[in-house]
Amino acid sequence: MGNTNSAHKISAQDKAILDMKNQRDKLHQYQKRITVLTTREKEIAKECLANGDTTRAKLALRRKKYQESLLAKTDAQLAQLEQLTSDVEFALVQKDVLYGLQQGTSVLKAIHTEMGGIENVEKLMGESEEARAYQEEISQMLANNMSNQDEDEVEDELEALEAEVNGVALPDAPAKQPEFTTEEKAQMAKARAQRRARERAAEQASQPMLA
Amino acid sequence: MTSISSLPASSAPSTTTTTTTTAQDTYIFSPIYSFPPFFTLQPNPITRSSQLQSWSAHIQSYCRAHRLFSISLIDALPTPLFTNATLSRALSLRDAKAVVHWMSTKDGGNRAEWTGRKGDVEAAETEGGRAWIYWRRPEEWAQVIEDWVDRTGQRGTVLTLYEVTESDATRREEFWGMEGELLQRCLGVCVKKGKAQIFGGEGSEGVKFF
Repeated sequence: MGNTNSAHKISAQDKAILDMKNQRDKLHQYQKRITVLTTREKEIAKECLANGDTTRAKLALRRKKYQESLLAKTDAQLAQLEQLTSDVEFALVQKDVLYGLQQGTSVLKAIHTEMGGIENVEKLMGESEEARAYQEEISQMLANNMSNQDEDEVEDELEALEAEVNGVALPDAPAKQPEFTTEEKAQMAKARAQRRARERAAEQASQPMLA
Repeated sequence: MTSISSLPASSAPSTTTTTTTTAQDTYIFSPIYSFPPFFTLQPNPITRSSQLQSWSAHIQSYCRAHRLFSISLIDALPTPLFTNATLSRALSLRDAKAVVHWMSTKDGGNRAEWTGRKGDVEAAETEGGRAWIYWRRPEEWAQVIEDWVDRTGQRGTVLTLYEVTESDATRREEFWGMEGELLQRCLGVCVKKGKAQIFGGEGSEGVKFF
């Protein structure tokens, strides 16, 4: 059936290989036939011998011998045919390998042209080297521009941050009641009186404003 | 002959455990094969259907063990397939036809098919002719062949049909010795799936798997 869709999958080589393989199959079949014939001739010879007919037995054996020589010839032909077939098949494989290599090479070439050749790569490398040197310069300059004061401030900030991170060590709270001497007590009383007087004065000053 | 009720309905599952051996002499028949009523088709519908099932399983396993891809009923009747010599019981031609016919229907799982052209099914039946016994259906065979091609790395190589079923390379495969017509049918399944292409002249076709 002329199925155009699938017909292209079968190449002329495939057909040639099929022809060779068919020939090989035919030889196989021929060999089978010959083998059957030889065994039959042998049986005939045996029968003839049993009947005492030596001449006919000899004839049968001669025929058998001839057929065996044919068998040997077909064996040689078969080997030749098989070798040719595998040669063709191997050539096809080689063709595929070559095709694969070609494809790979062209892809590699395309990538190379995309990269723009060796000069472009050299130029790019030079540019990147320059850019890196420039960057180095900038960092150097920045580092040198720091004044002593700036440095101090930086150090202070760092300390503060450290304190924040590690937590400041606070003094312990007193565990017992404070003990005062009489002198201190008198002083404290005086301070309290003074504070109260101040508060009262403030209160009086604010009252009229409210009224 | 024997009473109908003596065929137990439960005998059907036992046949599914038939032992399949490749050697012809050591083929072990399923236990139901030594049960005399097995050789007479029972009129009771329930018993009959279970009996047909047993027969189908028996025929499939026998054909598988003996590498028979098709049987001719006339030729197969006197063989152990349909005749149990120790019991001196045999299935009649009519019953054998009924069994194969049942196997070819959907109920029988399409495990058989009368050979010959599609329209001539009745002619084939009346002639008591040949039938394919599908212990593997063509689509199942297609899978087996594809697996073989894969396993042997023969995708993309040209194979002759003769080579697939007759050569020494496939002597150990289950499809060795398959009739050309059946092989064509199996490969047709592959072709339909787009996995293979058959080409070449009549009688010398080749196949190429992709």
